[in-house]
Amino acid sequence: MSQTDTLLAIDRVVKTFGSHRAVDGVSLDVRRGEFLTLLGPSGCGKTTILRMVAGFEHPDSGTIAIEGRPIQGVPPYRRPIGLVFQNLALFPHLTVGENIAFGLRVRRRPQEEIARSVDEALALVELSGYGERRVHELSGGQRQRVALARALIIRPAVMLLDEPLGALDLKLRRQLQLELKQIQQRTGTTFIFVTHDQEEAITMSDRIAVMNGGRVEQVDTADRVYNRPSTEFVATFVGDTNLLSGRVAQAGDGEARVSVPALGRDVPAPAGSLRAGDPARLSIRPENIRIAGPDAAWRVEAIVRDVVYAGAAHRYTVEAGDMRLLVAAPANPGTAPLAPGQRIAITWAGADAALLAASAA
Amino acid sequence: MRLGRWAWLLPLPLLAVLGLFLFGLGELVWSSFAGPEGFGLDRYRQFFARPDYIDVLFRTLWVAALTTVVSLFISYPVAYFVARYRGRKDWLLVLIMLPWLVSVVVRTYGWIVILGNRGLLNEFLGWLGVIDAPVRMLFNTTGVVIGLVHVFCPFMILAILAVFLQLERQLEEASMSLGAGPVETFWRVVLPLSLPGVISGVMLVYLMSTGAIITPLLLGGLRDRMLGTQIYQEMFQLFDFPKAATIAVILTVTAFVVVLPLQWLERRVSRNLKGAA
Ligand SMILES: Nc1ncnc2c1ncn2[C@@H]1O[C@H](COP(=O)(O)OP(=O)(O)OP(=O)(O)O)[C@@H](O)[C@H]1O
Ligand SMILES: [Mg+2]
Repeated sequence: MSQTDTLLAIDRVVKTFGSHRAVDGVSLDVRRGEFLTLLGPSGCGKTTILRMVAGFEHPDSGTIAIEGRPIQGVPPYRRPIGLVFQNLALFPHLTVGENIAFGLRVRRRPQEEIARSVDEALALVELSGYGERRVHELSGGQRQRVALARALIIRPAVMLLDEPLGALDLKLRRQLQLELKQIQQRTGTTFIFVTHDQEEAITMSDRIAVMNGGRVEQVDTADRVYNRPSTEFVATFVGDTNLLSGRVAQAGDGEARVSVPALGRDVPAPAGSLRAGDPARLSIRPENIRIAGPDAAWRVEAIVRDVVYAGAAHRYTVEAGDMRLLVAAPANPGTAPLAPGQRIAITWAGADAALLAASAA
Repeated sequence: MRLGRWAWLLPLPLLAVLGLFLFGLGELVWSSFAGPEGFGLDRYRQFFARPDYIDVLFRTLWVAALTTVVSLFISYPVAYFVARYRGRKDWLLVLIMLPWLVSVVVRTYGWIVILGNRGLLNEFLGWLGVIDAPVRMLFNTTGVVIGLVHVFCPFMILAILAVFLQLERQLEEASMSLGAGPVETFWRVVLPLSLPGVISGVMLVYLMSTGAIITPLLLGGLRDRMLGTQIYQEMFQLFDFPKAATIAVILTVTAFVVVLPLQWLERRVSRNLKGAA
């Protein structure tokens, strides 16, 4: 990526509240037109980052720049940002149309232009004809769209959305996820979207920044965050995984081998930056563990302990050596699922696992 | 709770008080209409025939309006400050209510000490060289308004604060993120949303000011009577109860002439804000 593609640059930003480091040295480059999600558990600093970009909080150190210009000292009302709050913060004393028009009224745009833009914005969020309604007459999903339209109408360089779908039921949430993504693509606006829902992050984002304890652990595409987690936290936070502790036994190019005491053997892993002898964690997703056929390169014996039918797949808990592993296998209509107590052998391809440095804890 | 069949006794004290109040009110209104020559508007005609009474009536309205406006301008920023104060608000509230722990009479005497011709304020202004001769701030309308503002400000502050405390800070932030500076955010968001509190505060202080007795009695001039002091005088110095009743009815009616439209306005504004916060 060349430098010109970076729209918003957050550079080594630290923010403390009292003695608590809410944001602990975050650097993040947001590219023009991308949908970037901040994903992380509650309290990891997502909102604080958005509020610093918006100008409602100020970093203790580090810089934030939009289009290469530092925005330190620029008040919120002069920053080219649009903001959608978790509680939406629609103006209760204004109609839907007046809410959406707010940003243009403040900018003293001519009346006809405002009316036209509001109509366009209403159409964009599929609320045409709702302009005269009062906010409290709308459903949760409709309010959500009003908040989006209100922020988009000022054509911000960056849209900041703080868990905007958090209060909605699952079905509506799914639907709005799609709409939000479409609107983002149609308008070409750069979105920074906050959520602690990993599924939401995966379905919507161009890139995901996984956060933990005030730090960004990994910034990558959804696919890479899921399949190539770079830390143990990312591996466990995004999706289910099996974590195996051990030591790197052999590090070649292409493939490494990790000795896992709990399994009593070496297992294959992708080569990484770790060297032989280093303590390591291996993350292997349940769907990447397979029932070993006769031609498997390696195998480990296991006993099925538990079966859960989960839609398109069976989820097994199997016991192998001294540990329990989660295995997900597609449900084949022809074949019967494995039964608890059944003896099987499991295997996986080294390339499907992720080799991580063992965390201090 | 096992009150059982005695539960119906609970509202009795309330009904008794209400009954007494209604009886007193009825008696009051009735006595203002009943004259020696039978039932009629005689007493009201007499009231409005006397220019000095008309003066008193208009002075009352003027003082009440002035007190209300001054209280509003003092209370609004205070309420906003308290609402946005990040520390412990309860201490600020105690501070605001503190004057109420002292009797109104004592506090009013305090003002005499401060506002008198040789009071602290005049001495101070003289010392600064701002004035040559003492400014009359006592025993006239100025004194009454100052005293009333002091007495009634806490009510106005609490009425407005009640609304501010429910006002989400994020509404102001939303406004700013849409490009409105602090001043514009105030006019477009904060002020409209705080109107219900402003209106109730205005009604409260206006009503209380029109009926004020002690403060105008102590701080007002002998000739600057208000309706409240006039009633007091008719009752306790002249023992003319029917005339006092007549003035009381006039006082009540004029108060309602202002308050009823305000109440209508408040209901309208509040309806518009339904679903706020
Ligand atoms: N104004 C503040 N004063 C003190 N502490 C704060 C303040 N704002 C945030 N914090 C603290 O900073 C940390 C990060 O808060 P933040 O709101 O950014 O988390 P978050 O990732 O948005 O969490 P959530 O998913 O629950 O919204 C939390 O521990 C929070 O308690
Ligand atoms: Mg948050």
